[in-house]
Amino acid sequence: MTAIARLEAWLGSRGWSPFPFQREAWEAYRAGESGLIHAGTGTGKTYAAWLGPLLEWMETHEPDLRPRRRAAAPPLRVLWLTPLRALAADTEAALRAPLAGLGIPWTLERRTGDTSATVRERQREKLPTALVTTPESLSLLLSRPDARHLFADLRLVVVDEWHELLGNKRGAQTELALARLRRFRPDLRTWGLSATLGNLDVALAALLGVGPDGRQSGRLVRGESPKEIRVDSLIPETVERFPWAGHLGLKLLPQVIAAIEEGRTALVFTNTRSQTEIWYQAILDARPDWAGEIALHHGSLDRKVRDFVEAGLGAGAFRCVVCTSSLDLGVDFAPVDRVLQVGSPKGIARLAQRAGRSGHRPGAPSRVTCVPTNAFELVEVAAARRALEAGRIEPRTPREKPLDVLAQHLVTIAVGGGFRAQELYEEVRTAWAYRDLTPAEWDWTLDFVTRGGPALAAYPEYRRVVERDGLYTVPDRTVARRHRLSIGTITSDAALTVQYVNGGRLGTVEESFIARLRPGERFIFAGRTLELTEVRDLTAWVRRAKGRSSAVPRWMGGRMPLSTELAAAVRRLLEESRDGTFAGPEMEAMRPILELQARWSAIPAADELLIERLKSREGHHLFFYPFEGRLVHEGLAALLAWRIARRRPITFTLAVDDYGIELLSADPAPLAEALAAGLLAPTGLAEDIPASLNAAEMAKRQFRDIARIAGLLFEGLPGRRKTARHLQASSGLFYEVFTKYDPGNLLLHQAHREVLEQQLERSRLGRALARLAESRITVLEIARPSPMAFPLMVAHMREKLSSESLADRVRRMQARLEKEASK
Amino acid sequence: MIRIDLQGESLLLLPERALLWERTGTLVVADAHLGKAASFRAAGLPLPGGTTTETLTRLSAALDRTAARRLLLLGDFFHARAGRAARTLAAIAAWRERHQDLEVVLVRGNHDRGAGDPPCEWGFACHDEPWIEGPFAFRHHPEEEEAGYVLAGHIHPAVSLSGPGGQREKLPCFLFGERIGLLPAFGDFTGGATVRPRRGDRVFVVAEAEVIEVGS
Repeated sequence: MTAIARLEAWLGSRGWSPFPFQREAWEAYRAGESGLIHAGTGTGKTYAAWLGPLLEWMETHEPDLRPRRRAAAPPLRVLWLTPLRALAADTEAALRAPLAGLGIPWTLERRTGDTSATVRERQREKLPTALVTTPESLSLLLSRPDARHLFADLRLVVVDEWHELLGNKRGAQTELALARLRRFRPDLRTWGLSATLGNLDVALAALLGVGPDGRQSGRLVRGESPKEIRVDSLIPETVERFPWAGHLGLKLLPQVIAAIEEGRTALVFTNTRSQTEIWYQAILDARPDWAGEIALHHGSLDRKVRDFVEAGLGAGAFRCVVCTSSLDLGVDFAPVDRVLQVGSPKGIARLAQRAGRSGHRPGAPSRVTCVPTNAFELVEVAAARRALEAGRIEPRTPREKPLDVLAQHLVTIAVGGGFRAQELYEEVRTAWAYRDLTPAEWDWTLDFVTRGGPALAAYPEYRRVVERDGLYTVPDRTVARRHRLSIGTITSDAALTVQYVNGGRLGTVEESFIARLRPGERFIFAGRTLELTEVRDLTAWVRRAKGRSSAVPRWMGGRMPLSTELAAAVRRLLEESRDGTFAGPEMEAMRPILELQARWSAIPAADELLIERLKSREGHHLFFYPFEGRLVHEGLAALLAWRIARRRPITFTLAVDDYGIELLSADPAPLAEALAAGLLAPTGLAEDIPASLNAAEMAKRQFRDIARIAGLLFEGLPGRRKTARHLQASSGLFYEVFTKYDPGNLLLHQAHREVLEQQLERSRLGRALARLAESRITVLEIARPSPMAFPLMVAHMREKLSSESLADRVRRMQARLEKEASK
Repeated sequence: MIRIDLQGESLLLLPERALLWERTGTLVVADAHLGKAASFRAAGLPLPGGTTTETLTRLSAALDRTAARRLLLLGDFFHARAGRAARTLAAIAAWRERHQDLEVVLVRGNHDRGAGDPPCEWGFACHDEPWIEGPFAFRHHPEEEEAGYVLAGHIHPAVSLSGPGGQREKLPCFLFGERIGLLPAFGDFTGGATVRPRRGDRVFVVAEAEVIEVGS
């Protein structure tokens, strides 16, 4: 019997027959090709990639079901990369099924940060035939001195959920690791699995890297067409007139409970971990009889808690699970038949992904019900539905040569047996992110890890990577060990473990939250009311408390910006409303608010920029409404503030949301004068944008991630935290020291570039300005905050930009300190 | 510069983040953390050089301007043993050469215990806390003393100010309470810990080249 006949017989025995796209992927793999398979979740992508190498094996091997020792199994052939270690167990289970059924004597194991020491030890001797792992664990394998030997028989690397890695630094890290593996194994095949994206060609190119003659060719395999997606909303009976960003629409709780009751198992997605805690409590308070039938799930909960919830979901044990993006990915939970989205999805692809978590019956549409938490989110839902219908999905743009990731990689390779400079330079340039890496950038990064950068050339005490006879290695074992512990590109704030005084661990919260609490105070975490007893050894010790608390931890990085595509769709809908067109139930519900906006101020037309001026107790406000999304607004806000502040000494605090910008000052800003002098001119941007970003210190925030990845921030060795205290400093302090003493440092330049390109989408910023410069400008004095202005007035995140002296500013602030102190 | 009266003594608060006890001609400085960047470098964390030189230059400026006869260090003069790099030691030795008649007293702090006392040839008088003189008890750690009003470091105090138009600033400060006064950290590569003043505390922030009293 041929291999393919054996495979089809096995599939048939389980009631399956291969999809055409799966056959296409198997054949392409057998022909030596690499490629990218894209389709929605639950459509058979896993087997499209996994059965190819199994077929290849079966063509030369008869079924073999004899038990044998692990050591006798074939060496590592397939590496399966998964973005979340939480997915590794499910992936392993899915891959295991055909092995026994087809009589393939491979070993299959996983290796992640959660893998036990025993298994690690076993894997140190020999890796399994197929290994499920994460990009970080792969980098750790590359830091072993015998790395080349480990991968000597590797045929295939599968990168699962490639879209999750593509747009961030973990993608660059993965590309560097793939470049290394291809050097070990020139005929290595790479297959990616991805959800549908707006730029699949780039996703494919980034996965395959750059060969000596440019782009590698690869196969783009399109999976089964996605299920139909239905988007609807819970519409509040009365729409609040002044919706404010972050205000939780718990008003819709009764409707949410009714929606949960309709189905067997519901997933309630929220956008932040804090909202997950708040909604879980609210549902439980409203329906105490559901205790035990509802659960919550987010990334800061202890692994055991999450495992318990996931297992229960799969088994249909829950009526409802409130969760964050922590349940966006992974195996399908068959019992889920109702999905709710609390708050705006902020992106079209994300909404489609979450909708896909329901409706697993063949042919059944996926449905997601949006729960707006403020009125303008109604517009976003209507816009997302329209974009989905038109098939507009966001692209994910890969990072361009992040030098912090490269610096980390160089140390990794130096630890793993060492490298020669020219060889590694050529190898690194085959990774997509580094295809344009210049010799100067390479030299700087190499200097950075060997001598700490040119500024450090004469410091003999510095040691990390050492060059001897052209070979770069890490001879110091402490440095090597510390590097292994810090490999990775996901940055997190200093986190404290939350643990019961009498044992069980609940998860982690950020240090800044616990720092505000005193022992004896209560807070809500993991769905429980807890009382803090003490903070010791990086652990917040707690006990169960009675009653309720309103203190819910906030975690950094929770806020999602509105995507470009969705922002554009929102603008179109608002423009329609000027002519009295309110399409769909959401826009109909928005009608009173939009009419109020028109009455108190105006709704801007397509070729119009609306600027509102308002005087309040807080000071003098300027509101601009470009409708370009929060990322572009951050850059634009700094630029506008900088251009105005150049005219006379003034201090602004800046706030942005997805629709507009607020510049707030103690004295009125010279707006008319600035407009006449070219406030919106798209000229001189090359100088004005960097100057304004510097003035607003926007790169300082970005530097936090960069400092950690490049190995500047040192979180300490486990169990030796105290001895490492003297090596800790905040990234803000690092930023100041570098800015003052080493302004040419390329990591600082990277921080600026990241702010410009990733944070602010420089090209979009330029386009936005060009459009605004062409626009009619309407300046309106308003008597009270308009519906569009109000969310900006209460925004939490604020930047500062000033052309006054620090001493002048301090004198003005004196009164306020007194008030705070006498509280 | 601001002159204040404390325990019947006149103190001059300097924007260099030091204070001068005028009657005794003593410049008081806390938390210099010299060699901090070097100790990071020794551990493979690539910090640029220049912080120690900058800190010493500022120290010289304060000494010259006040014509102080004596320097009293309230602990954490060195950051860590690994930071006692040849270049750092040479820079401090050169600074000492320039101020050779200066009497230097170090009240040891927690970092000094790990880093060790300065080399004997610099002629620093090193003592465990407290150092009691006049109405004051000089300490590194801000803990009350029977013997006098405590002047201490260790905290690296800073206050957060807010003002109209949503403005905020976090600035290093001197903070004088009922029994304890805190000095800002002197070193260039030191962070600040935000403190909340209590009623009756006097707070002086360092804003670039000025010392400004706030909230009184």
